[in-house]
Amino acid sequence: MLSINMTAAREHLVIALNGEVDASNSVELDEVIQEALSGSVQKILVDGRNLEYISSAGLGVFMSYLEDFRENNVAFVIFGLNEKVMNVFHILGLDQLISIKNTQEEAEESLYDA
Amino acid sequence: MVKLPNIQRGKIYIMLAILTWFALLFVDLVRLFGEINQMEGDISREITWILEIIFFIVLYLYFSYSINKNENSNFLNLIWRAASTGLIATLTSFLIIYFYYLLDGSRLSEDPLLRNFFYHVNFALTSLFLISSALLWKHLILYQKSKAVVQQWQAYEVILLISMFFVLINQESYDYGFMFGLIFLIIYGIILSVNLKWIPYLTFREKWKSILFLAIIIACTAYLLVQLVSYNQKNIDFVNLSENLFLLGLFAFVLIYAVFSFLVTLFNLPTSSVFEQKLTEAISFQKLSQSIQPGENEEQVLDILMDSSMSAAYVDAAWLELHAQVEEDQPGKILHQKFISNGERQDLMAILKKTEPFAGYLNELKGGKLEYIYGKIRHETFQSVLIIPIRANKKILGDLFLLKEVKDGFNKEMINIISTFVGQTSISIENYRLLKEAIKNERYREELEIAQRVQRSLLPSELHHNECFEIDGFSAAADEVGGDYYETYRFDRDHFALIIGDVSGKGTSAAFNMSQMKGVFHSLVQLNLGPKDFLTKANSALSRCLEKNNFITTTYYTVNTREKEIHFARAGHCPTLYYSEERGASRFLDIKGMGLGIVRNLSFEQYIEEGKMNYLPGDVMVMYTDGIVEAKNENGQEFGYDNLRNILDENYHLSAREIRTKIIESVFAFVGKEILPDDDYSLLAIKFKA
Repeated sequence: MLSINMTAAREHLVIALNGEVDASNSVELDEVIQEALSGSVQKILVDGRNLEYISSAGLGVFMSYLEDFRENNVAFVIFGLNEKVMNVFHILGLDQLISIKNTQEEAEESLYDA
Repeated sequence: MVKLPNIQRGKIYIMLAILTWFALLFVDLVRLFGEINQMEGDISREITWILEIIFFIVLYLYFSYSINKNENSNFLNLIWRAASTGLIATLTSFLIIYFYYLLDGSRLSEDPLLRNFFYHVNFALTSLFLISSALLWKHLILYQKSKAVVQQWQAYEVILLISMFFVLINQESYDYGFMFGLIFLIIYGIILSVNLKWIPYLTFREKWKSILFLAIIIACTAYLLVQLVSYNQKNIDFVNLSENLFLLGLFAFVLIYAVFSFLVTLFNLPTSSVFEQKLTEAISFQKLSQSIQPGENEEQVLDILMDSSMSAAYVDAAWLELHAQVEEDQPGKILHQKFISNGERQDLMAILKKTEPFAGYLNELKGGKLEYIYGKIRHETFQSVLIIPIRANKKILGDLFLLKEVKDGFNKEMINIISTFVGQTSISIENYRLLKEAIKNERYREELEIAQRVQRSLLPSELHHNECFEIDGFSAAADEVGGDYYETYRFDRDHFALIIGDVSGKGTSAAFNMSQMKGVFHSLVQLNLGPKDFLTKANSALSRCLEKNNFITTTYYTVNTREKEIHFARAGHCPTLYYSEERGASRFLDIKGMGLGIVRNLSFEQYIEEGKMNYLPGDVMVMYTDGIVEAKNENGQEFGYDNLRNILDENYHLSAREIRTKIIESVFAFVGKEILPDDDYSLLAIKFKA
């Protein structure tokens, strides 16, 4: 089960993921990111505090947008991942490509200071 | 036993009949000659009678043989055969009369011998006609036979046979015995003649034809009877062949059956169309109930439905409207529009949508359990309308509109039969769809089986190793095909390469990517690269063929058993579990890494690290895919890294195979039997020995 909430705050957009991302619902995540990119938002935060599990298909979604983020100068930060999910990102090596922060404050800080 | 071939039997009968006839003619002429010339008759009358009996029997055998041979000819043909034989006999008789008319006055016309010759010709043809007709009647009587009728007929044949010999007893005189026998034969003939079951099966046209033929038969029979009897009366001293109970009995039978058939056919004419109608309905029903044959489609079944319904209710115009099927993406359409123009149909539809009881149904298009709607409308041509929804798989497929020009044109029987047709059509269509689906599924299943076979062959059946280490592998896929991959390669006696990989996603697409990975492995492994270079090149190759959001995680190892050295690099794959004999504990070899296909440019190299270690005998290396650590039990808990490590800590002393089995068993035990695996999982265990 996955539910996605989008909220705009200041200049950035927060995408909150609740539940599990797997092959069956990774398309929803893809649509949301696609939508965010098509707007003029330059800063995207992903709230992973309630993300319980992410499968390789879910990781594939983040991965497939890395190029687009760089080309469009979009700052993309994930925060609040639990240990298990963080480990998944780490094993795959995605933590080397995506900025991952512990808390929302740290994440916002990195968005606006950079 | 020597059995004569069938073809010859008919010819032999004909020959026998002709021979008997000539013998009869000769005997009679000699007798007559003797009588006229007042000579003492050497030849007794009994010889004539016996020859006559033989002639009858041979003819009877011949015709019953020849009719059986043409068993499948239809009724009309049979009757025509009888009628034509009758015509020939009658015509011949006329010709003889005409011949005498020409000879009128001459001495020859008075010659008794010539007259007697022609009498024999007439007699032969008449017998021919009577016997063949009687046997044709037999065929008609025994149509849809019951045991009782067959027995009746057999008894009749026996009686006829006895009647032939009667002449030997009563010595050619009309005594009471003869009269009694004749009356008995007539009554029996009447009893047999009520078997007229063939008549209803004739169509209207055929009935008219058979009436004509029967009339011919009746006329011929009557004429021949009169003619034969008159011969006897005019020429007293002539040989008398007709005073035979058999012949007269046959006359009676042929005549009675012909008259009965004639009358019954005549009285059947008005109801003929009803019977035909019922027959057509039965055939339509049968057509509809046969499931759709390969090559046919649903429209053809609907077409049969239209035709059947229209003919069942004498409908003047009809059309079939198919509703739009949202799921199947089919727009609504008008199918099979009969005897009505588009304009008229639209007019009618407009009227129907304003007229109850149709309006309610047509405007809402919700039939519920409605079977049919029937009512009248105000239209210049059509007065009554019947709408029947056609259902398949609990959905309304379309509506059948039937129109008649008369008021109250549909009675209960018609509506019943049409409803049955529609019901049968629904069943046919449903069956057809089920069958189609089953075939499709079957094909998918077969293709998956092929894919499964192909994929199994992608995993190695034997793993390369030497005496310095044991190796054992296991792999299971969540779906029919999976995306896990492992393989080994041997460079030389002491050098080996190992790889384990996991393709993102699962199922068929993962399996395709896995086979690409195998190709990449076999191409690159031959270059004898270090693990980091190997992965960099593999990334570069796979970046060109993987879809945008697909990636592959893998770990590549090279093992040198002479130096007891392992080099490895991790491309985003689960860290290898390593038990060190020296430390007495196991740990995960977590080094920096990045999945293949995630960074699709040369910068990939910077995210990869190469590890190097030396092993000692007794060390154990466990490589696995994420399906193992992420296997969930019914509470949603994952098997996890700690569980895996604890199992190895407890079982490191076992052989590679036992360690592998132990881990897989533990995972199964953790997950529980009821839960199907939702990811592919694979495991390779290596135990170093020297």
